[in-house]
Amino acid sequence: MTAFSRLPAPMGLLIDRSRALSFTFDGSNYQGYAGDSIASALIANGRWLLSRSFKYHRPRGPLTMAGQDANTLVQLPSEPNVLADLQPLADGLTVTGQNFSGSLDGDRDAFLGKFSKFMPVGFYYRSFYKPKGIWKVWEPIIRKKAGLGVLDLKFQPEYHDKAFLFADVAVVGAGPAGLTAALNAANAGAKVLLIEQQSYLGGALAWARFDIAGKRAGELRAELVGAVESHPNIQILKDATCNAWFTDNFLPVIQGNRLYKVRAKQCIVAAGAFDQPVVFRNNDLPGVMLTSAAQRLMKLYAVKPGKRAVVLTGHDDGYLAALDLLDAGVEVAAVIDMRTAPADARLAETVKKADIPLHLASTVYEALHAKGMRHVTGVDVRRIVGKGQVAGSGTTIDCDLVCMSAGYMPVYQLLCQAGGKLAYDDAQAAFTLSGLPRNLAVAGSVNGRHALDNVLLDGGLAGGAAADQLGLSAPAAGKAFAAEPRVNFDWPIFPHPDGKDFVDFDEDLQVRDIVNATRHGYRDVQLVKRFSTVGMGPSQGRHSALPTARLVAQATNRSVSETGVTTARPPFVAEKLAHVAGRGFDPYRQTAMHQRHVELGAKMMPAGVWQRPAYYGKPEEREACMQAEARHVREKVGIIDVSTLGGLDVRGPDAAELLNRLYTFAFAKQPVGRSRYALMTNEHGVVIDDGVCARFADNHFYVTATTSGVDRIYQQMLKWNAQWRLDVDITNVTAALAAVNVAGPRARSVLRKLCQDVDLSAEAFPYLGVRQGTVAGIPARLLRVGFVGELGYEIHVPARYGEYLWDALMQAGAKDEIRPFGVETQRLLRLEKGHVIISQDTDGMTHPAEIDMDWAIARSKPFFVGKRSVEILEAQPLKRKLVGFVLPAASSKPLEGHLVLNGPDISGNVTSCEYSQTLGQIIGLAYCAASQSAPGSQIPIRVEGGQVVQATVVKLPFFDPETKRQEL
Amino acid sequence: MATLQAQDFLERSPLYRRHAGASLGRLGESSIVAHYGEYDESAQLQRCALIDLTNLARVGFRGAQAAEYLGGRGFALPEAPNRALTQGDGGHVARLSQTEYLLLGSLRDAGSRIAGEETAWQLGEGGNYLLPRQDSHAWLLLTGEHIAAVMAKLCGVDLSAGTFPVGAVAQTSAARINVIVVNLPEGELPCFHILCDRASLDYFWGALLDAMDEFGGKPAGIDALL
Amino acid sequence: MKIMPCPLNGPRNISEFTYGGEFKPMPDPATCSDAEWADYVFNSENRAGVVVEWWMHNASSYWFLAERHTVTDEIIRTFDAKEIFTRRVDFIAKAPAREATV
Repeated sequence: MTAFSRLPAPMGLLIDRSRALSFTFDGSNYQGYAGDSIASALIANGRWLLSRSFKYHRPRGPLTMAGQDANTLVQLPSEPNVLADLQPLADGLTVTGQNFSGSLDGDRDAFLGKFSKFMPVGFYYRSFYKPKGIWKVWEPIIRKKAGLGVLDLKFQPEYHDKAFLFADVAVVGAGPAGLTAALNAANAGAKVLLIEQQSYLGGALAWARFDIAGKRAGELRAELVGAVESHPNIQILKDATCNAWFTDNFLPVIQGNRLYKVRAKQCIVAAGAFDQPVVFRNNDLPGVMLTSAAQRLMKLYAVKPGKRAVVLTGHDDGYLAALDLLDAGVEVAAVIDMRTAPADARLAETVKKADIPLHLASTVYEALHAKGMRHVTGVDVRRIVGKGQVAGSGTTIDCDLVCMSAGYMPVYQLLCQAGGKLAYDDAQAAFTLSGLPRNLAVAGSVNGRHALDNVLLDGGLAGGAAADQLGLSAPAAGKAFAAEPRVNFDWPIFPHPDGKDFVDFDEDLQVRDIVNATRHGYRDVQLVKRFSTVGMGPSQGRHSALPTARLVAQATNRSVSETGVTTARPPFVAEKLAHVAGRGFDPYRQTAMHQRHVELGAKMMPAGVWQRPAYYGKPEEREACMQAEARHVREKVGIIDVSTLGGLDVRGPDAAELLNRLYTFAFAKQPVGRSRYALMTNEHGVVIDDGVCARFADNHFYVTATTSGVDRIYQQMLKWNAQWRLDVDITNVTAALAAVNVAGPRARSVLRKLCQDVDLSAEAFPYLGVRQGTVAGIPARLLRVGFVGELGYEIHVPARYGEYLWDALMQAGAKDEIRPFGVETQRLLRLEKGHVIISQDTDGMTHPAEIDMDWAIARSKPFFVGKRSVEILEAQPLKRKLVGFVLPAASSKPLEGHLVLNGPDISGNVTSCEYSQTLGQIIGLAYCAASQSAPGSQIPIRVEGGQVVQATVVKLPFFDPETKRQEL
Repeated sequence: MATLQAQDFLERSPLYRRHAGASLGRLGESSIVAHYGEYDESAQLQRCALIDLTNLARVGFRGAQAAEYLGGRGFALPEAPNRALTQGDGGHVARLSQTEYLLLGSLRDAGSRIAGEETAWQLGEGGNYLLPRQDSHAWLLLTGEHIAAVMAKLCGVDLSAGTFPVGAVAQTSAARINVIVVNLPEGELPCFHILCDRASLDYFWGALLDAMDEFGGKPAGIDALL
Repeated sequence: MKIMPCPLNGPRNISEFTYGGEFKPMPDPATCSDAEWADYVFNSENRAGVVVEWWMHNASSYWFLAERHTVTDEIIRTFDAKEIFTRRVDFIAKAPAREATV
């Protein structure tokens, strides 16, 4: 077969004969046309063998020509596992085969087929998992033999993204049902999104035959597609796969490099049905294909699928396909009907009139081939004498094409994902669907309607019903459904003693593999799937689910309804991780002074979504930078950006009352112009946040919260007050205020240069005082704090001025040698002061007594969140305690998380630990048993490498116990 | 006239470094991009453009007496939450909840009326609390015929004209951060006013420009708007 | 993705919301037993049926309540917390002689 001649128009709907394209497949040059798929162009060139099967390396050609099988998986230069019957041909494309040794034509592993009886079902599980560990030896060998293409490791990622699409009605599938559904809904005024997986509209109208004259499909398609394409209310997505159904009609639709997240008020699935193969020996040979595949080759690509064809059918559509083949100049050697007669007697007459031999109640028992199995050469036709049983002998018919169709399986995947239940109807030998959500409907062959008039009516009704649900009025569809003949032959399975009667082409599973799985005790169809791997290949059971269900039902003496089919989960077709990832969105937050830190050479670190300076200097000089910055703060003056610190304005008559209920301390009598430490527990009595509470007016508090905690704290405050209904307003001003802490003995000197309207003297503005004034002409909130243990002023200003404030302070502080310091330095400085950081030095169990915060609890208050739990916890003996410990400078330094031991037990862990230059020793905080917590106790800490160091518990703080420095 | 620099002013947009190369104009106590390059950006605005209005005044008020307070100061207030009204002076008022209002300044007076509202407010006994929206939020203006399509790449709310009409407000998530989107055209020019966390502006600006790219979207200045 | 009808913002993707836990009345912490308190703090009924839950719309920081069926996952109704919390809640000190606040 060497042919590059195509059928005349109107055959070849998709190809553009004026644009010839060259490409190579496995090293040979071929020609095709624009609009061809790789597979259609190869078959036009007489090239049928596209791949080798997964397990036995059997030669395979196209089965569906619709991207529904694994036979056409090929390799592109930078992409493996491409479906050759979907992938558009491009000029200069280099295509190679997959899964072979040596060459695709002369695969050295083809001998594997002869060993099939040594590779029975469950082969992998049973052969390679004992003795333990042996799978590691076999795995690389098997992976190589079962090759799935080659990854291009030099591949440059492409831009993929996502976008939402909104519709009143989403219609999945643009066949006759989908088109009429879309039109009816759109005519009623609905905004319709029509989603079609193929590159053309019309579905089966584009390639199937619906009448003897062969006219109706084309005319109807032109009419419907014209109306849809010109309709202002219909948006069309072609080459777009709806890959799943998620709650409330949330549909991921992949088109090109984009994943659309479609949200539809109503959804109509008109996805059609999968043509079903017949199970007989060698039903996988190149040249044996689904009837619909042969029709697609002719109508869509003008490719003649063979010279002499045999049509094997279980329904009337096979007769119409035979007429299509005749029209294309293919000799039809036989129509073989598994039934005793066609439903429409005129079809039998027409076929006979065309001199096509008709074999009723017969089947192909075996497809024949020459050596090498490169192509089908004939069929052995037998009379059917019982369920799956054939006469002892038959007739042989020469042919180079076998078209087979046993019936249709609804494309039920999306519907089952939506909760639809499949039930097997014995009378129709077909599955029906029920139990769909109210906003999801089905139409057309997926709904069991196959006669064209019924399909159109069904689509129209579904479109109208969707419009109704939207409150739009659709014209009544009127007519009633006509009775239609059944389309599924009930037992299209003809086992052969020599096997190779494939149920699952992807996984090379034969009838006996399925039956044997049941004999191993796997009666549940889900277990049969996992044991045999049926339906687990790329085509995901599109052709194997129905025969598997039938075989399992028969082997276990149950009905198909009872066995059911395996669960269909997303995705519907294989999707790239790039589609799932899309264009990543990773929000980050920067303070108003961010660029200044970068300019000063800061090492930035993430703090939640914030970016903060860890220290100023190179990562390799971390320790030196930190120690130098710390010394500078202790001896001169430092400045740190604390804009990320949470800030909440609490205002109104009940402001103090609200804080009284949310924090453990008492705030009602707090004087204006002062701040208080604020500790928060949750209802479990666990410490969840802290900050300071600055009172600027009777009815105005400014509360700080931890960087990571503020959003959650703010939400909790709102939630509580939704219940309490206090007269108070809570505002999250975290991003609205830029803030720095100027700390060190010279801090007052620096601030004096910029702040004239506040008396900064220690008497007028003491430790824990708060003031409002101006700094460098900017309105500012000033808080005297002592977090790092030095004289310090937090200056909070509106964010718009943040960078200017930084510049002004750096300039004003130049004489005092002001120097920026980072978050890591700040952590060291506060550790020297023994201040805990909530969520670093506390965990999900920490209650106030464990961290010596009993003093921060106002016990006479009637209520605060967690009060009752704190009381209960305090009444119990203390289980553990957070203590300060020291180690000699030369000791191994414990890391956060290292364990504290108590005899043979673990009694706690290190939460913070640094070397303190100020103190000349290693200092840290750790949980330990209450019995170990007295100052002077030795606590063993297991450090890196299993070594145990003996740390000494000391009273906190480590530095400046009289806190004189911060109160200057 | 000497060329203006953003750093000449105390008030700065977090984006000013990204406006490098733009011609700046004075806007009250800060600067704003007048235009990029020397060509008229009107066509760009009609197609797809993004303007940084972060330095233009805005402020919020919330509380049981906020409506009465604002009414007394001559503002026309939207009748329902998540609606917005353009004021006679070109500014806008968006209502974000039963008791919360967002006042957006007008370029016509360089935001001075709204800036004045911010300084005039005093915390009193009444239930009307100022919200520092100019500092908590950045303000971007997305213009042109593709605004709904651009936002559909970032945001799960249908912002097309049919479901998100003029005057509508959506408090939602875009590119994984919280935003307030207000549909208020400038004359015939379709516009979304987008307010987002000021600290996230650098991130969000990049995400928006990336989404605008397929529509030929570019940053622009305010000259073509006036 | 599920849609949550927000009483303030209308129907939105559920990713715009934060779950705030089951709605359950707090026993009087001043008078209830330790066991009652622990039951309130730690235990949840996990009922198969209609439950009332707290939800917050993130972008507007708006808390509301939702009636949801835990078997069908159907959201039956959402409503403002004012429907249940109709008035200001106060906590009275155990010992009346002492000041209510410090």
